[in-house]
Amino acid sequence: MGILAWVIILGGLAIGILAGLNVPFLIPQLYAKYLSVAILAALDSVFGGVRAAMEDSYDNTIFITGFFSNALLAAGLAFIGERLGMDLYLAAVVAFGVRLFQNLAIIRRHLLKK
Amino acid sequence: MNRKIYLSVFLVALIIGLMVALQFRTTNSIEQGVPFGRSQELSVELNQLNTEKKQLESEIEDLIQKIQQTTKGQAEAKEVLTEELKKTRLGAGLTAVSGPGIEITLDNPSAGQNKGPGETIFAIRDEDLLRLVNELNGAGAEAISINGQRILATTEIRWAAPFINVNLTRIAPPYHILAIGAPKNLTSALEISGGLGEYLQSLGAQVRIQSYENLTVPGYTAPIEFRYAKPTKGD
Repeated sequence: MGILAWVIILGGLAIGILAGLNVPFLIPQLYAKYLSVAILAALDSVFGGVRAAMEDSYDNTIFITGFFSNALLAAGLAFIGERLGMDLYLAAVVAFGVRLFQNLAIIRRHLLKK
Repeated sequence: MNRKIYLSVFLVALIIGLMVALQFRTTNSIEQGVPFGRSQELSVELNQLNTEKKQLESEIEDLIQKIQQTTKGQAEAKEVLTEELKKTRLGAGLTAVSGPGIEITLDNPSAGQNKGPGETIFAIRDEDLLRLVNELNGAGAEAISINGQRILATTEIRWAAPFINVNLTRIAPPYHILAIGAPKNLTSALEISGGLGEYLQSLGAQVRIQSYENLTVPGYTAPIEFRYAKPTKGD
């Protein structure tokens, strides 16, 4: 991980945040729930990727496909749950939340081991 | 290979940043506004209230229509009463009226016109005017005035030497009597041979009768008071 990687990550984040803050439309309230679950899934994928990178088992294809499919799946799950009258998005929240914390813990240990 | 990884990392970072920022803004706006569940509740309530409002509006319309009907009835009643009042005032002689009629000018004989003895002492008296009014009424006169005094049901024509009082007002010769009615009938009633006109002329009075297509008889303007007469019940 060189400086270039950090520049790319932070630059991407900054551009994305700037774009998000300046986009002239808002997500309708109905879909805000889905987006939040998708964000959670995406974050989980990101931390998973970081963890994989630290374990030296990073696979770009898996990372990218996992990122998008997790996000879409989580949003789709929330949508289906809404249609079925069930708070199915809670399942996504719990699953991704737990995994997120696990990944975070592993990343922390790796960082501390260094 | 490395470039590919950088590209995907950049892409992921971009998308995460975009989504987070968007969600942040959306959540912010939701917190400022109304939560979703609450808004649903409120929209249901709004629908109910709208229905209620519609019902109330139709009720208002109904009531307005009723009011209008009532008001209309009132207006009609008022119109009828006004019409009645007009008719009554007309019948009582309180309003000036105009129409075809005749004007009779009566004057005492002038000094130089004497034809014989006995005539010089003649002057037109209350009885002459009374007979004249009677004759005109008999001929179908609808409104009569003497020197601007409208003849009413209570009008007196009375000798109060050396004047004649009509409606408690002194009048002096020459007497202008206006009568509205069929001019032909009125004229012939006076000019019939042996009639009043001939009689007065034979006494030396100056009698002139003129027909008019349109003349105006003034109304009685003083207030009318009934101090003793009261309408009987049931009328």
